[in-house]
Amino acid sequence: MGSDALKQLLDMRDDPYARARDWKERTGGRVIGFFCCLAPEEMLHAAGALPVRITGENRPITKSGAHLQSYCCSLARTGLDMALEGELSFMDGTVFVHTCDTMMRLSDIWRLNAGFAVHGDVVLPVRFEGDLAREYAYNELSHFRRKMEEQLGPIDDAALNESIRVYNRNRALLSELYDLRRENPSILPGDHALWLVNSSALMEKVEHNALLEEVLEDLRSSNAQADGKVRLFGVGSAMDQWDFMQMVEEVGATLVDDDFCNGRRYFDTPAPEGDDPVESIAARLWDRQSCACKHHPERDRAACLTDRAKEAGAGGAIFWQFKFCEPHAFDYPHLKKAFDQAGLPSIQLEIEQGSVSIEQLRTRVEALVETIKGAGN
Amino acid sequence: MSAEGGDPFGTSIKATDQMKQLMVEYYIEAKTTQEKPICWITSGGPVEFLIAMDVIPVYPENHGAMCGASKIAPGLAEVSEEMGFSRDLCSYARLDIGGAVKQEGAIPGGLPKPDFLLCCNNICGTVVKWYEELARYLDVPMFLFDTPFIHTEKTEHATEYVRQQCLELVKFLERQTAKEFTLEKFAETAMLSVQAVELWKGVLKTAENRPSPFTCFDAFIHMAPIVTLRGTQTVVDYYTLLKQEMEERVEQGIGAVTDERFRLIWDNIPIWYAMRSLGDLFAGNHACLVADTYTTAWAIDIQIDDPLTSMADAYTKIYLNIAIDMMLEQLVGLIERYQADGLVMHSNRSCKPYSLGQYDLARAVTERTGKPALIIEADMTDSRVYSEAQVRERVEAFIESL
Repeated sequence: MGSDALKQLLDMRDDPYARARDWKERTGGRVIGFFCCLAPEEMLHAAGALPVRITGENRPITKSGAHLQSYCCSLARTGLDMALEGELSFMDGTVFVHTCDTMMRLSDIWRLNAGFAVHGDVVLPVRFEGDLAREYAYNELSHFRRKMEEQLGPIDDAALNESIRVYNRNRALLSELYDLRRENPSILPGDHALWLVNSSALMEKVEHNALLEEVLEDLRSSNAQADGKVRLFGVGSAMDQWDFMQMVEEVGATLVDDDFCNGRRYFDTPAPEGDDPVESIAARLWDRQSCACKHHPERDRAACLTDRAKEAGAGGAIFWQFKFCEPHAFDYPHLKKAFDQAGLPSIQLEIEQGSVSIEQLRTRVEALVETIKGAGN
Repeated sequence: MSAEGGDPFGTSIKATDQMKQLMVEYYIEAKTTQEKPICWITSGGPVEFLIAMDVIPVYPENHGAMCGASKIAPGLAEVSEEMGFSRDLCSYARLDIGGAVKQEGAIPGGLPKPDFLLCCNNICGTVVKWYEELARYLDVPMFLFDTPFIHTEKTEHATEYVRQQCLELVKFLERQTAKEFTLEKFAETAMLSVQAVELWKGVLKTAENRPSPFTCFDAFIHMAPIVTLRGTQTVVDYYTLLKQEMEERVEQGIGAVTDERFRLIWDNIPIWYAMRSLGDLFAGNHACLVADTYTTAWAIDIQIDDPLTSMADAYTKIYLNIAIDMMLEQLVGLIERYQADGLVMHSNRSCKPYSLGQYDLARAVTERTGKPALIIEADMTDSRVYSEAQVRERVEAFIESL
């Protein structure tokens, strides 16, 4: 009954936190919010908590304007607004990972104002190269584990290894989903595929795995005919505009692969399983695709992304830019040039949650699709 | 320049000429050197290592301030904006990248090209992205000195990570310069750095007196040597002179502002292009900005008996690398020590680590000290987002309320 599993997951779009709230009611367990996909979710999971991703939402700002300036990204502004309005009251705490300057300060402001019992910071290195930084990352993850144990209860090795296995299973399934769509994107619209990834960070992993297994069973045997949509590659932080994703499908295109942190970057690279679970988590973070917030001198992000876009058979790319997001805005000219050189036309769309105009974006996407068709890609 | 003439400022600082001379000589040497390597470094970076290795440090941020003050920043920023860099990015970064491309700036021909880069992220994450772009564009090696942010605790493993990076930095510099690092030279540099820092603290301390012998607008100008060249004898000599002059002023009761009535604290990087007009505005209203959170950032503590550990510690816990509740303690401390009547915060579009959290800080400072806070929206060098009339109105209303 794969279609039912798919429907269950897609229905979550109407109320993304409904399942987390239900889970809390059902189990009495603790729900811990987090913003960044570098968060060591497995540790929270192993402590019996439910890690849930916050990516802000489309809403006018009411309360967070008293804490954050208007030149701060909407992810932080709307996320904090939700917390201050009590809409995240089903959460027991929040975990912040050191990424950009905004998240760094948001952690302070959140800790002092949002009123959650549990707060955690994972101050990962910014350097993602060399033994020193690697050792520091391991130590910081161990330290974070101890801090979480103090607040959430014991996280023993066996439980943590089991959580890593559960998460790896999820990664393998999502990875297969992307592989299947690269083969034939018409088996599932791009907005559905991305939602399958996004929903993973909104509900219990074991349950998500079970539903995904069913969805994939259907997709593996799908005989959907290729629909000739123009294949696009998405670059950016979080893609949370489902109307936009649907519009891309409507104009005859589909995102076949991406670098979104609630897309490919959420599940790429399994954690190597072994005796030391902290080492497994550290090793995964180290081996992952590069992130705009981390310094990877040995791994050129432009080369990684253009290679992957080509492997996915993309004819062009969409740069999805949150206004005021510095790490991505800094990388843009370099990436754009690389995509140009790879013969992949692209557009940059700058958005703020709460003021997205799908019609304006539609014109831009249509123009890109026409360019790609014109180039015969 | 006296009260009779109606000038809002007191006597101008005599040491200014020496400071300007010192900076001119520094930039001439950096532009003309044949034998010394050039390293571009971030303002919070551990410059002592460069000085000890005979490397000339060049600060794009100091140059950015000069470009801001001389009002050429927007033109240079536009160059990088045309390259695709968003106007929402840090204006130092935008103008610096534009300047590097055009080879233009506040000094003829722009900054001398670096042989390598030293980026320390204790002031922001922006510098990492900015220096990555410089490393690509200029095709030079970059060393990232990574100082983990302190939210609620300073962990031992973070200190150890930074301490070990000092040793790695030494190796990097030895490779880049083909010279050997010697502990003697380093200890000597660290000693001179400590002396300069102590003198600088002494200069800042004289503003605790009423009237204050200088304003933070003076400090913004006179901080250039402590930022760029601490660790050299020249800087020690210069601050000895400046401190002496300030102490003489205190003895003679000479104030920086004629008839000082209000004492204020400044927060954030200066609004470089508006320094003169803001200086006039505050002085004209008998308000003296006696201290700030910016120039005190260079009061870095190094212990001579264990320079590496103490440097790792000092460079990690600077003002911009700590949580806002820790910043609050320092702000409250400044207000008490300088007997300030209020706080003026520059909400700087270009600097998120400095600016995000100011709204909370402003409320908390007032709650703790009973002193009011004013927040003005601007940008440190991009005058295109600045409204002078609006700022004037708000400052005047604020001083009126004191």
